[in-house]
Amino acid sequence: MDPWPTRTAGRKVACLAVTVLMLAGCTSGANATNPPSPTGSTAPVASVAPPSSTPAPTEIPPDKVTGSLSVLDWSGYDQEIFWQDFKNTYKNVNLSFEFGSSDADIYGKMKAGSEADVFHPYTGWLQFYVDEGLAAEIDTTKLKNWDKVPDSFKKIGQINGKQYFVPWDWGFTSILYRTDKISSVDSWAILFDPHYKGHLSMWDDGPGAVTVSSYVHGYDETNISADQLSAIKAEWSRQAKLNKAYWTAEADLDQMVQSGDVWAAYAWQGAFATLNGQGVPVAYANPKEGRNSWVGVYGVRKDDPNYDLALRFLDEKLGTLTGQNLVTNYFYGDANGDVMSGIADPSQAKAYTNSATGATPTLLAQTFSINDPSILQHTNFTPNLTSQQRDDWTAMWTEVKASQ
Amino acid sequence: MFLIAPVVLMATVSFRADLSGDLLAPFSPTLKQYQQAFAGEGYWRLLGISALTAFGVAAIATIAAYPVAYFLAFRAGRRAALYLILLLVPFWTSYLLRVMAWKLMLGSEGVVNSVLIAAGVIQAPLDALLYNRGAVIVTLIYVWIPFAALPILAGLGRIDVRLHEAAADLYAGPYDQFRRVTLPLSLPGVVAAFFMVFIPTVGEYVTPLLVGGTGGTMYGNIIQDFFTRAANWPIGAALSVIMLTATLALVIVGLRLVDPRRLLAR
Repeated sequence: MDPWPTRTAGRKVACLAVTVLMLAGCTSGANATNPPSPTGSTAPVASVAPPSSTPAPTEIPPDKVTGSLSVLDWSGYDQEIFWQDFKNTYKNVNLSFEFGSSDADIYGKMKAGSEADVFHPYTGWLQFYVDEGLAAEIDTTKLKNWDKVPDSFKKIGQINGKQYFVPWDWGFTSILYRTDKISSVDSWAILFDPHYKGHLSMWDDGPGAVTVSSYVHGYDETNISADQLSAIKAEWSRQAKLNKAYWTAEADLDQMVQSGDVWAAYAWQGAFATLNGQGVPVAYANPKEGRNSWVGVYGVRKDDPNYDLALRFLDEKLGTLTGQNLVTNYFYGDANGDVMSGIADPSQAKAYTNSATGATPTLLAQTFSINDPSILQHTNFTPNLTSQQRDDWTAMWTEVKASQ
Repeated sequence: MFLIAPVVLMATVSFRADLSGDLLAPFSPTLKQYQQAFAGEGYWRLLGISALTAFGVAAIATIAAYPVAYFLAFRAGRRAALYLILLLVPFWTSYLLRVMAWKLMLGSEGVVNSVLIAAGVIQAPLDALLYNRGAVIVTLIYVWIPFAALPILAGLGRIDVRLHEAAADLYAGPYDQFRRVTLPLSLPGVVAAFFMVFIPTVGEYVTPLLVGGTGGTMYGNIIQDFFTRAANWPIGAALSVIMLTATLALVIVGLRLVDPRRLLAR
């Protein structure tokens, strides 16, 4: 079932590596030469072995790198296709996954002392990792794919002027609707429209709710007053009477829209493309308030003994094959600019076609609004929350849910 | 230690002001979380609704489980073991899978709607089957019946069959035998079954999450939200402590009202 050895097996490999290296160290001491190290950047190795026998990790050929790396991610991203380049390059590294169900969950796990080397938060939730000393600064000189990342994305991974995160996936949030039930949608306010009672679905997320209300009423999302927050709470308490169900995973939403239970929903573009690929009559709105956009990033745990291997992993995450898989399987955008520009290149059409998900260059171009740059110009990017906003907004949302 | 430590840890976290700083480092305790929890009127209402839901689910599941257990104890004969295994077969699949099965049953394109439409009873699918509190209650009852049958079965199994014969000798008909002999003797098992369903159901969160929709939220969902969707463990812990205390109080009161030993002595 699991093609990869378990953690225990990983430890055995690491122990073996230590033993081998210690032997190598002895030999080198005796011969006063530097034999090529058979091992890579496993943590214990670096501390146990004499420095002379451990070359800088970047000098080791990829297939000689061993060790294990653990990734705290959202379920689904453990699929090999989403780290294809890493798998192809580092054949002897053991990858293990731990899962979080939401940004708060991932943050909570890191906060509680998760041993994961690499973690995957989204915009809005980045500041606290740095404030609480959970994220290591990224040495971008070690990332050969870094130049392919547009500057605007690089900036998103910067906190307090330093690069703490490597951007990876991105997308839109807007209103997804069934075109056989609703002719057109021009505003986020449809989520509050009593006309569609019982056929609406909001994402189960407090900050998301504040964002929608801010767009509709023109509030400054980064500076919501107490009065505005109570108005937002009242608004969503009324909305709850119209809401079919709050969705947590995109697959839940897909199923509700597909079955015809939900006609209009707060949704990421992936849901639109997935349903479209399945032949469900859906459209993705361009609300007059503008769409929202979010970016997923990877961070490395602070003081991680596996830092070098973690950077290698992030570098390969930005690889072209991995990015194309992300685009054609989940319909999420990739931070590698080449991957996105390839969609419009007819000679690469095959790489952007996937019969299982229904992906075609045309659908992808439509999904990412590649032919209509005005949409992106009119898009609102998710600002980072302060811890006060996080606690206030999530508490507001929980009270909305509790009052039903 | 294994059982107590997590509860102590939870109680400790509930006195934190927030989640910042080292979680294991000492901190100055505060009642802020409890103040916020007590101030939010929605929480109390929801705790009441959850307790009522749990009461209803436990009562119905216990009543429905009784005939099942009775059949297994007295009527199934040599095949009792086979029937018991059949009763427990659903437990070989994951809990989530069984709840998802109800989603398929009750959905707008689900089994119930399809059958009703095919039979001409209704024209358009009923929306009201799924994503509400009713769906949560039905699913929970289904999930708990086999569990509830087990303590009742244990209670019935302990009854000496000769008592039935003795009752028959004293001209007690089947109804009187059941009412005056079997039922009273099995009541401790019934009470055990009731509380075995009631206690976990108060804090239930998976079922409402899957089939409850917007209106089916239970108290456990709020706690889960504070842990996994808000990264606000202290208030989640405070709400858990409140629930634990409230459930404990309800159980104590309940046991006072229906003392199983007194029932047995009667």
